Amino acid sequence: MDSSNVIEARKKHNDNLARGNDKTRATWFPLTLMALLLVLPALQFLGNYNYLLHMVLFTASYAVMASGWNILGGFAGYISLGHNVFFAIGGYFAGMILARYGVSTIILAPVAGLVAGIAGYLIGMITLRVRGPSFIISSLALVMIARILFDNWEFIGGANGVALPANELTVQWAKLPYYYAFVIMAAFAVWVSYRIKHSKFGLGLRAISKDEIKAESAGINTRFYKVLAFAISAFLVGMAGAVWGEYLTYIRPNIFLIILVSVNMVLMCILGGKGTVAGPVVGAIFIVVFNEIFVATLGASEINILATGLIMAVALIFFPLGIVGTLAKHHRLPKILNWD
Amino acid sequence: MTDLLQVTGITAGYGDGPSILDGATLTIEPGKVHCIIGPNGAGKSTLLKAICGMLKIREGEVIFKGERLNGLRPDQILRKGICFVPQENALFPKMTVRENLRMGGYILDDKDELERRIDEIMERFPILRERANQHAGNMSGGQQQTLAMARTMIIKPDIVMLDEPSLGLAPKIVQEMFDIMRIMTAEGITILLVEQNALTGLKNADWGVVLDLGRTLFEGPAVDVLSDPRIQELYLGGNKAA
Amino acid sequence: MSNFIQVLILGLALGGVLALMGSGLSLVFGVMRIVNLAHPALIIAGAYVAYWAFKLWGVDPIVSLPFAAIILSIVGILLYKLVFEREAKSAKYSEMSVLLTFSVAMCVEGALGSAFTNTQRVTSPGYATDAIFIGDIFIPTGQLYAGLISLGLIALLALVLKFSRFGYAIRATTQNREAAELLGVNVNLVSLASFAIGIALAGAAGTLVSFVFSFFPAKHWEWIAILMSLVVLGGMGSILGTVIAAFLLSVIAAFVGAWIGSTWSTMTFFLALFVILLVRPQGLFGEKPELT
Repeated sequence: MDSSNVIEARKKHNDNLARGNDKTRATWFPLTLMALLLVLPALQFLGNYNYLLHMVLFTASYAVMASGWNILGGFAGYISLGHNVFFAIGGYFAGMILARYGVSTIILAPVAGLVAGIAGYLIGMITLRVRGPSFIISSLALVMIARILFDNWEFIGGANGVALPANELTVQWAKLPYYYAFVIMAAFAVWVSYRIKHSKFGLGLRAISKDEIKAESAGINTRFYKVLAFAISAFLVGMAGAVWGEYLTYIRPNIFLIILVSVNMVLMCILGGKGTVAGPVVGAIFIVVFNEIFVATLGASEINILATGLIMAVALIFFPLGIVGTLAKHHRLPKILNWD
Repeated sequence: MTDLLQVTGITAGYGDGPSILDGATLTIEPGKVHCIIGPNGAGKSTLLKAICGMLKIREGEVIFKGERLNGLRPDQILRKGICFVPQENALFPKMTVRENLRMGGYILDDKDELERRIDEIMERFPILRERANQHAGNMSGGQQQTLAMARTMIIKPDIVMLDEPSLGLAPKIVQEMFDIMRIMTAEGITILLVEQNALTGLKNADWGVVLDLGRTLFEGPAVDVLSDPRIQELYLGGNKAA
Repeated sequence: MSNFIQVLILGLALGGVLALMGSGLSLVFGVMRIVNLAHPALIIAGAYVAYWAFKLWGVDPIVSLPFAAIILSIVGILLYKLVFEREAKSAKYSEMSVLLTFSVAMCVEGALGSAFTNTQRVTSPGYATDAIFIGDIFIPTGQLYAGLISLGLIALLALVLKFSRFGYAIRATTQNREAAELLGVNVNLVSLASFAIGIALAGAAGTLVSFVFSFFPAKHWEWIAILMSLVVLGGMGSILGTVIAAFLLSVIAAFVGAWIGSTWSTMTFFLALFVILLVRPQGLFGEKPELT
């Protein structure tokens, strides 16, 4: 045993502990997918594909929301079970303006998103003071408070809500504006996720999710990062909410503030892979498809809730990293799904 | 002299992470103070945890009084006579000193014997008797470490393993801790400790073990380890007068 | 003045029931560091046990309390073995385990809803609609009995925790799991038993809830937020804190309900939660700053 030998052996030992990086990516896939989606409505020339358009639209809206949720829940590790509050804020803001002044929610969407984002910022300043389980609890309390407030606020229609005017297009093309709005929003959300993940901000968020105390002592302004993540995720969810209200031609608390909406956001990210860019989208597709199958076979009843609970439990126990995450961990992720 | 504890070729790690220990060995003789030194990440604490059953041993054997301990649970190993005091966080902060001592004798069946032993310990360590009904979390670092070590004596173990007992303590208090260890060996307890502070650890021990890269690089009487020039250069900060 | 005392007594009685509901939750959190969001759903399961026992065989809910507790403790053991054992054994308790309890809550709701439909139920033994009069003060016997029984059960829990060997094991595991294990405590068994006890308490609370409130499977969402506000105000992991918080908030909520309106009495809990997070995030007796 010789001093220099030991030092060299130590260096080799440490190098062995470091792991390699995976740099495979297939950018052509999401771009092609996007192109396909943009041309899809042309099918309307051939027949009535409204159901299909609705499905894609619905999936896209959830892709936006799940991606938004993912920024706080996946990247920063703060699980929010009440994110549908921002869905409601966006929906009601844009919806009320539409009802009173006739401005389309699609134009208002970014503004509604901004309003939701600001709300997210303010709320985050309070609730992000605590971590882990307490934060999750506060998010639940938030949705409960919101529900009671919205149900009792006459100005916005209380529990009965407000009816919104439908657009003037024919049945063949009525869905189109919303379709494109959501598809573009989904692309935007994915793009935002990607940019964040590859930025210093995203690195900071990841550090926070792994070990917040160490991140803080490494000089990361954790409070600012967390609150910003909260605000951005609220922004995305709020935008989706804005257009959703007009699409349904109704804004009502029991559309926006039911637990099912927030559960879906969370479940999509878990199933797809929280913390990845493709995960929320993959999850959204799966859940929407599952839901359709369940409703078709079992009916929209309590069994549906049981099934959702089971899926979530199975996902959490057996592949907590989600589809994308688990595949990536075992180095079996098909390149088309590697959007990170 | 027959070895009390023989540890051979241990490979172990955390979860399914890499192997921190890669062929560590150790022999413990009764009645002595054995000190393990080595750099951060060498696997010192990991070795203690593997011996007491907190970590799964991937390869290698732990033989205690002729019996193989691999795969046993910590409470089973405790009953056999090996006690482990973790780093810095060994007490129950919201329990009183007396209740902490009572927990020390959790595996004893005879409640009266337990109370008797608690009183004995309090005789031995007056500071504990003074604070018998105070919450352990409110004591100073040195008092807490005293309690942690005294508590091990309740079940009269064969071996007590201490993970960095001097961590966070002032030098004068550290010496008190080593004095307590001598009290324990006088009672027939064998000590195995891990020390970040290599110099103090070796000065107060009978036997020294150098652990690095997950392996035992050197084992011998503490004075020999202290005075070896290679060890001095690598682990004791260069040529210091030992 | 008598109105004041009446509201106070009502608040205290309900506080007792809430304290019982929350103590099981606190116990499980202390030992396993898991916030069991399925706790209220299991309380409702207990309520259904009492309801059907009463409807089918005329068994008084208070009599069915021990049976509900036993049935639910078996459910708890099964849940632990199937779902939570792996989580509890891993070194780090993460938010994923909270989500797991969330999914269990949905499963329980779905199961109850499929089996018993969403109709609102309430058990109606005689005393549920009776009242006793002390001077001017009118005390509904249902709430009174529920409150007293809850207090009795909580006292029993406290005694066991403070003086029994098992209680020591639970407290030790709650305060320092590693040290407890190193001193010979079988922490997995302690976790299992604590979980079973916690769920048994939920079952017991459920039988009391069955005649004090009307219930249906989806009601647990409302209870989750209320119970959570207790646990946060009291301090995560402190049963004493949860109990005190339960009484405090119930009394305040009772007054809010009497003076402002019943829709707002539940708001009291949620607002209290937010205020606590702003002012003193660790609650009354919690560990500070916060467990990650």
